Amino acid sequence: MNPIYLFFHKTGSPPWFYQFSGKLIPWLWAGFAILCAIGLYQGLLIAPADYQQGESVRIMYVHVPAAWMSMMIYGLMAIWGFIALVWRIRIMEVLIISSAPVGAAFTIIALITGSLWGRPTWGTYWVWDARLTSELVLLFLYFGVIALYNAYDEPRKAARAASLMAIVGAINLPIIHFSVEWWNTLHQGSSIGTSGNQIDTSMLWPLLWMAIAFKFYYGANLLSRARVRLLKQDHRKRWVQDLLAEENS
Amino acid sequence: MSHTPFILASYLISTVVLLWAGLSPVINKRSLLRQLKNRQARMDKAQ
Repeated sequence: MNPIYLFFHKTGSPPWFYQFSGKLIPWLWAGFAILCAIGLYQGLLIAPADYQQGESVRIMYVHVPAAWMSMMIYGLMAIWGFIALVWRIRIMEVLIISSAPVGAAFTIIALITGSLWGRPTWGTYWVWDARLTSELVLLFLYFGVIALYNAYDEPRKAARAASLMAIVGAINLPIIHFSVEWWNTLHQGSSIGTSGNQIDTSMLWPLLWMAIAFKFYYGANLLSRARVRLLKQDHRKRWVQDLLAEENS
Repeated sequence: MSHTPFILASYLISTVVLLWAGLSPVINKRSLLRQLKNRQARMDKAQ
């Protein structure tokens, strides 16, 4: 069998996923710690203050990567939701519901740090601007997915409902992204894009290090949550019993 | 206006949120394993 097909085939097996992710998690945490240290060092100590924003530009090194993560995680949830609904792969269902609290955490960070940046720059903590409002809607969507999942007793039914909500809610992602172009917003447009960057490399690098660090954080956190959820769902199954017996001995 | 309190607050709140999100699966796993082990012990005793 093709090694890639074999990998995906194995990923569908909870015992294999549990063992494999257990080996991966420490490396992901280590990657996060190293990249975060580099990003924070460059962002807080090396990068210059902005000529307009002043020192408050340093908030961007956590705000922008957190906002990117909030959208990326929801996008992944929608994709996994589709796969879970079509092919009924249980690991995908577990990944969706394990992602939601991490996505909500990044959305909370993006909203709070954005608000703290807005006060010295715009003179206000909050405006009902299209970008800010659509990001707040994203937070409510995360809460909605978590609440809907917890409203069911049967995990697989719960996951199907959560998957559907993740797919429907994905309509908010292009709204967040293009809100600064479609409406006249206080929030500025993108400084980084495929058509070129409008920020100096001394500010771009810490931003990118932090963005990669957050991806490592997400990977480690997601797999940790997925492992706990699998243990909970399969606690009567043989592989979990064997695992417990192994830990006891 | 000094920007320092806003920067410090941003990084502090982000750290707290990331720590909470990072530690909660570890705490949940410990509690779940304790529950499962206790249940297994009760079952072994009953047998």
